[in-house]
Amino acid sequence: MVLKIFFPQCCNRADSGLLVGRWISGHESAVVLAVIHYPFIPGQVKQYVQQMQTRSGVELSVLGSWSLPKEGQEGMESFLRDLSTIFPQKRWLQISRQMGKTGFICNVLNRDHDGESAQKVKRKKKHEDVKGDEGEEDKEEEEEEEKVIFIHYEQRKVMMSQLHPIENGLQDPKTDSPSELRQMFQTVAQSQPLFFMDKYDDGPLKSTHWQSEGREASIIVELLKQASVPLCLLVTWLLSLWTWICNIRIFSLYPFCFLSSKLSTCVQLSYRTEHMRTLSSPRPAAGHTQFMRKANIFVSFLVDVALGMLLISWLYRDNHISMLANTLVPAADHVAKQLEELLQWLMGAPAGLKMNRALDQVLGRFFLYHIHLWISYIHLMSPFIEGIFWYGGLSACLGLTFALSLLSDMVALLTFHIYCFYVYGARLYCLKIYGLSSLWRLFRGKKWNVLRQRVDSCSYDLDQLFIGTLLFTILLFLLPTTALYYLVFTLLRLVVVLFQGVLHLSVDFINSFPLFAVGLRVCRFYRLAEGVKFRVLCDEPGTALHLLMEINPLKVSTVVQTYRTPTYSCYPKDSWAALVKKLFVGELIYPWRHKTTKTD
Amino acid sequence: MGPDSAPGPAVPWQKVLWERQPFPDNYVDQRFLEELRRNEGVRQYRYWSVVKEAGFVGQQLSCVALFITLWLYMEQGLLSPEMLLLTSLVCALLGYGLHQVLTSQIEPGCEPRTRLADLQSAAIFLSFTFGFSPVLKTLTESVSTDTVYAMSAVMLLAHLVSFPYAQPSPPGSLSLNAALFASVCLASRLPGALHTFAMLSCALLVFALWPCLLQRLRENAPNQFTGVCVGMCIGGVGGLGTQSLGGAMLLAIALGSVTLLCPLLLVRLQRHKDNIHGPWDEAEIHEDLSRFLH
Repeated sequence: MVLKIFFPQCCNRADSGLLVGRWISGHESAVVLAVIHYPFIPGQVKQYVQQMQTRSGVELSVLGSWSLPKEGQEGMESFLRDLSTIFPQKRWLQISRQMGKTGFICNVLNRDHDGESAQKVKRKKKHEDVKGDEGEEDKEEEEEEEKVIFIHYEQRKVMMSQLHPIENGLQDPKTDSPSELRQMFQTVAQSQPLFFMDKYDDGPLKSTHWQSEGREASIIVELLKQASVPLCLLVTWLLSLWTWICNIRIFSLYPFCFLSSKLSTCVQLSYRTEHMRTLSSPRPAAGHTQFMRKANIFVSFLVDVALGMLLISWLYRDNHISMLANTLVPAADHVAKQLEELLQWLMGAPAGLKMNRALDQVLGRFFLYHIHLWISYIHLMSPFIEGIFWYGGLSACLGLTFALSLLSDMVALLTFHIYCFYVYGARLYCLKIYGLSSLWRLFRGKKWNVLRQRVDSCSYDLDQLFIGTLLFTILLFLLPTTALYYLVFTLLRLVVVLFQGVLHLSVDFINSFPLFAVGLRVCRFYRLAEGVKFRVLCDEPGTALHLLMEINPLKVSTVVQTYRTPTYSCYPKDSWAALVKKLFVGELIYPWRHKTTKTD
Repeated sequence: MGPDSAPGPAVPWQKVLWERQPFPDNYVDQRFLEELRRNEGVRQYRYWSVVKEAGFVGQQLSCVALFITLWLYMEQGLLSPEMLLLTSLVCALLGYGLHQVLTSQIEPGCEPRTRLADLQSAAIFLSFTFGFSPVLKTLTESVSTDTVYAMSAVMLLAHLVSFPYAQPSPPGSLSLNAALFASVCLASRLPGALHTFAMLSCALLVFALWPCLLQRLRENAPNQFTGVCVGMCIGGVGGLGTQSLGGAMLLAIALGSVTLLCPLLLVRLQRHKDNIHGPWDEAEIHEDLSRFLH
């Protein structure tokens, strides 16, 4: 069997003392967490370990002894051996390092043989240690059959890192216990209370671990923690007020309900409310996933608001708003004029197609009248447009996403005529397609059997056949005209929908992109680990393996995938084929039914 | 063990697969092909009876020719729509009377259509045709004439091909629809809405009602039926002859070949018929065509 000892790098130069850590059950491995220095009273050490065990929930124990004798301190062998009788353990590690030779010696005492402690001695001699604690090259002279592998790890990084894929503690007890590595990571992460005692503490014990030189903390973080409590209370109160307003009965009536589900500003508002509710909840985040979710939402919110402020600072400077408003009405006029020309072209002989003249004229005049109505409406609205822009621009202080959603809604409202044309064209076309398909069955003497979901043959009456054929002929000859109108207006509609889709996608991107996680990955790559890799420190024959454990950072794509805030666009969408089929049959397509967004 | 190695006479060969026998798989004994039967249930046709049956095909052909003739007259303005309507009305009334007479002769068991239902159907036909005739008139305005002619020709051909000659009384959907489609196409080329209406009524008469009457005639008065068929053929050829001699010639040739030549061929070729039956499953080749699609 190979005994693996996870040894923290910060304890390489520690004074002599007791090794505190944990035996990982089921695996031949031990995790050393800290060194408690001499002098100590054994009772106090036992009490301390007990206390830490209840606080951290880790089965801590005294693993063995560590000795790094100073100049002139010799002959501690017997003392160290006696220690093992004070702290009764199944196995007792005696790891020592000599100052002059920088050698590592490991003795393993087994208590298996009743009372009589069998001793197995390992001796490792360190070679010239050039880089100090960092790159140690150890040489091991093996004398016994049991091999020991030292795995050096950086305690701080391992404590802070989260091994992926994440297991949320809901593990099935029947399945295998978590892997050795995962247990080791968990052990280090959970023994945080052990690392709170630093050298400035007045307690009876002194210990060495990664924080023993002084605790790491940031005064800004502490201040923010203090400030966040009243802020959260305020936000919660505002949210409850907002929820109360939203729950007034008048808003649950049909038109409001319908409108608010279709306007992207309202949708964005509801998402943001949800986010703020998550953020301002008084309970601390349970588990890594929830913490990351909160942090991601918070950072996206901050970035969103900052971008919105940038937009505002541009918008309200140099009279940009009135400029925009003044260009809007001519633009709408221009679009209407282009549409009129398009309709005139369609009413002639477009592209040499043979259209039914009567129907063509009727449709063309109908649409022209519609455009006329629309233009008068726009001109009626034109004095108010600047005001609408001015107040609408204020919404950007809630975030760039709000401004974008508002823009999307405004585009939808300003291109309402195109939408109307599209709906008329699609309805007409849909009617024709369905009529033709069922009349084609009649033409062949078949019918659709609803009960069996298949086409059956059927004998029709004479008059049914006659009228059916008459209608079939009429529909067939009118189809090209309708189809052309449908095609043209669908293309126009697709342009609008594409633009809205791009806006929605960018809003969705800001809402769901895990900025915090990506930032962590870039600045503190060890926080999100995907595994570890081992670097061989000493590979000479006749020596034991000395490995340096390094953390493998998570891939950026995986980070984005794992920590993406779920929004509507995360759900599966209709395929392109389904979209094309819908377009062909003449079913209506919408940008807000996010299953059918054209982009992406 | 080859097929030639003689089996032991002790074990007779059985035509079964579930038993292990000392014979090769492809072994057959002397009784092979004993149960073969040829031309089972083959009817021997007589020439003139076949000709009589083929008369129906011929008269349908000449019906189409007659309709085309009428349309030609209408298009050239030689026949006024009022005249055609009047004639159609008289024909319809006469035909209806005849139909009633022929129906009352046969069994009263199966429930006949009431007069009211007939009247309702007629009202529906007339009102729909009349209401839609202005629409139909402008329907194919922008479509080129050649396209319309080609479509009509294809549809009339489809009518002739898919016509249920054996049992025409409930008219076959596809054949009737194809004929009506063709007549709508043709009628939309006529100069006025009334023309269209008259033409469509005439089409209804020729393609929908006439086969019903003829079927009754074939069931109840076979001798008169033959006469009517001959009359229709002569009428079709003669009518087409007043418009185009070439067309009349072609129609006459077609009628001759369908009613005289084809039955002759059928009767002649009958003796070459060699259909085998036996107590075996016929081999069917189910070619998997789907692999050619990829």
